Amino acid sequence: MLEVDHVRKEFGSVRAVSDVHFDIEDATTFGLLGPNGAGKTTTMRMILGILVPDGGRVTWNGAAIHDKSRRHFGYLPEERGIYGKMKVREQIAYFGKLHGLREPDLSKRIDRWIEQLGLAVYQDRPCAELSKGNQQKVQVACAAVHAPQLLVLDEPFSGLDPVNAAMLLSVLNELRNNGTTLILSSHQMWQVEDLASRFCIIAGGANRADGTLSALRSAWPTRVVRVSPPSDAVRARLESIAGAQPLARVEDAIDYRVPATTDFAALLRALVDVAPVTKFEAIEPSLQEIYLRAIGESAA
Amino acid sequence: MIEDFVTVYQAEIMRRIRSRPYIIGLLVGVIAISLLTKLPTMIEGAFGGARAILLVGDPALLARAKPLLAGDYKIAGTLASTTIDDATLKHYHASSAVELQARAGGLHVTVYSHDPGEVHRDTLSQALLPLQLQLATHRSAGDVTKLTAIPVTIVTVASKFASAGQASAARGVAYTLLFFLYLLIIINSQLVMSSVAEEKTSRIAELLIASVNPTALLTGKIIASATLGFLQLGVWIAAAVYLGGGSGSTAGGSGQETSGLLSLSNALDVITPGLVVAFLLFFIIGFLQLSTLFAGAASLINRTEDLGSIALPLIMPIVFAFIIAIAALGSPDAPLAVVCSYLPLVAPFVMFARMAVSNVPLWQVALSIGINLVALYLIAVLAGKIYRVGMLLYGRAPSLRQVWSVIRS
Repeated sequence: MLEVDHVRKEFGSVRAVSDVHFDIEDATTFGLLGPNGAGKTTTMRMILGILVPDGGRVTWNGAAIHDKSRRHFGYLPEERGIYGKMKVREQIAYFGKLHGLREPDLSKRIDRWIEQLGLAVYQDRPCAELSKGNQQKVQVACAAVHAPQLLVLDEPFSGLDPVNAAMLLSVLNELRNNGTTLILSSHQMWQVEDLASRFCIIAGGANRADGTLSALRSAWPTRVVRVSPPSDAVRARLESIAGAQPLARVEDAIDYRVPATTDFAALLRALVDVAPVTKFEAIEPSLQEIYLRAIGESAA
Repeated sequence: MIEDFVTVYQAEIMRRIRSRPYIIGLLVGVIAISLLTKLPTMIEGAFGGARAILLVGDPALLARAKPLLAGDYKIAGTLASTTIDDATLKHYHASSAVELQARAGGLHVTVYSHDPGEVHRDTLSQALLPLQLQLATHRSAGDVTKLTAIPVTIVTVASKFASAGQASAARGVAYTLLFFLYLLIIINSQLVMSSVAEEKTSRIAELLIASVNPTALLTGKIIASATLGFLQLGVWIAAAVYLGGGSGSTAGGSGQETSGLLSLSNALDVITPGLVVAFLLFFIIGFLQLSTLFAGAASLINRTEDLGSIALPLIMPIVFAFIIAIAALGSPDAPLAVVCSYLPLVAPFVMFARMAVSNVPLWQVALSIGINLVALYLIAVLAGKIYRVGMLLYGRAPSLRQVWSVIRS
C-alpha cells in the first residue's frame, strides 16, 4: 500500500506542492489528475524517491521510500528518453538489470515484452531508427520489464495513435491484474476513467477532490436529466423543479440540470402523467466535468 | 534554395550570437588566449626566468663575471667561499652554484648542481669568454685557442640521479608520463561529461534516476571511465616500450638542451615503483576531481552544443597545471612549483613532475595528497548535489544564483 501523507515540496521560493495526500491499495489503478503546473510530476517524483519531500512523507507498505523499494518501482516519465544508439533489446535489458533482473529470467522477460509489444522485428535495431510510437513501446517495456509492484506513468498515452493507445491500455490492465499498482496521470480523461478506480485531482499543489468515481459523483451537486421526446408539457414540469436550469438544445431530447437531491423516480412518474415519454435519463457527471469543476473552484 | 540558405544562416547567426554559451565561450576564449600568451612570461618570471645560479669565488672576480652571466642566468647570490651542499642551494633558491677561480692557466669553473645537465659547459664557456680574455691580457703570453677552452668541472650535489644520462632519462620519462597523465585525465573526464550530457539531453536521465541512485549512477560512470583510462594507459605504455621509449626532449626554461631519444634502459632505471605508484595515485586523484566537476557541470546543460562552453573554464586549470608541471621539471624546488604542488586540480601534475626529477620531502607529498583528497571529497559533495538536481532541470539553463542555492541546500 502506498501512502502519500500531506507532502510538501519547494524549489527556492516556488512551492510546487503544498499539501497532497492520498493512499492507494495494492493492485489498483489510481488517477492523479490536474492541470499543467498543478504539482503532479513533483508528487510522482516524491513517490518514486527521486525528490525528498520538504514536509509530510511517502511510505510504501508502511516504510519510507528507499533504494531497495525503488527497485520494485517502475516509471514512465512524461518527457520520454531513450539511448538512441542502443539496440532495442539491449535497452530493455539495461533497465531490467538496473532493477535487479538477471539471466536467464531477464531474457525470458525481454522476449515476452518484445512479443507482447510487437517489437520482434526491431529488437536488434538501434532505438533511434524506430518510429516515435515504437520508441514509446520500448520505453514502456523498460519501465515494466521487471514486473514492478508500483508503476508510475506520467501521460502514458501522449503521442500514441489509437491502436497503440488501445494496446497500452490492455498492457496496463494486464499488469494490474497481475498485481501491479498503477498511478497514472493523463489529460485524456476517458482513458483514466476507464482504467482507474480511484482519483485525486490536484491544483495549485494541493488536493481539490479525491476518492472513487462514485464517491466523487455522489458529492456532485447536480445531475442532468434528459427526456425524449421534447414537449412543452415536459419542459414546464422540469422548470417547476427548484434550481432547474435548461441546457443547450439536444436533438429529439430536452436536457435540464437539476439538483442531485431530486427524487428521479417521482419525477419520471410526474412526467409520464403529463406527456408521452420514451426516454428518461438522470446523467451522472463525467470525470471530465468533475475535473473541470474542481480545477475551476481552485482557480476561483 | 540559396534564399533558404541565407535565411537560415542569418537566423542562426543571430540566435547564436545572443546565446549565453556563445557569449561565455567568447569571453573565456579571450581570457584563455590572454593567459596563454602571458603565461610563459609569467611562469618564466615565477621560476626565475633563466636558471638561478649562486656564484662562488673571489668577490672581485665575481663582480666582473656577474654581468657576463646575467644574460643567461639569474644570479641568486654570491659567496666568497663555502661548502656547496643542498642546503646552500635551497637557501638561495638556486639550482646550481658556479665557482670561479682565476688560476695560472686561466679561468676555471666548477659547477655544483642537483642535476648534472642543469648548467651547460658550452653556455658557461661562451658567457665567460670575455673574462677569460681579460684575464689573459694580464699575462705575458697565451695561446688563444687554449685560453678559450675554459675547463668546467661538474659536481653533483645531493642529486637523485647517479649520472647525467640518468638525469636526462628521468626528465624524459617524467615528460612522457606527464603527457600521459594530461591526456588520460582530459580525455576520460570529457567522456564522463559527454555521457552525462547525452543522458540529460536525450531525456533519459529522469528514467535512470528513478531506477538507480544518482550517486551510484555517477560513480558508475566515473569509475568505468577510469577503467578505460587505465586501459588506454596500458596501451600507451606498451606502445612506448615497444617503440623503445618516448620523446626525451627536456622541456623547461631557457638554457636547456634536448637530450635526444630516451634510452629505454635509462628510462627503466628511473621508473621506480615509487614513481609508478605516484603516477597511478595522482591519475586517480586528478581524474576523479576533474571528472566529478565535469559531470556536475554537464548535468546543467540542455543541449549538447553547450558542452564546449561549460567545459572550457574547467579545462583551463588543467592546461595551467600542465604548463607549470613542465616548468617544474626544470626547477622542482622553485616556490611556484612548491605552492602549485598542493593546489587541487593542479597538484596531481605538479607534484608528480617534482617527484619524478627530485627528492621531494615525504611530508610535502603526504600534505599534497591529504589536501587533494579533502578537495576531492568537497568537489564530490558539491558536484553530486548539482548533478542530482541538474539532471531533473529542463528548460532554461539555471542561473548562477539557482546553482548556488542548490549547492547551499
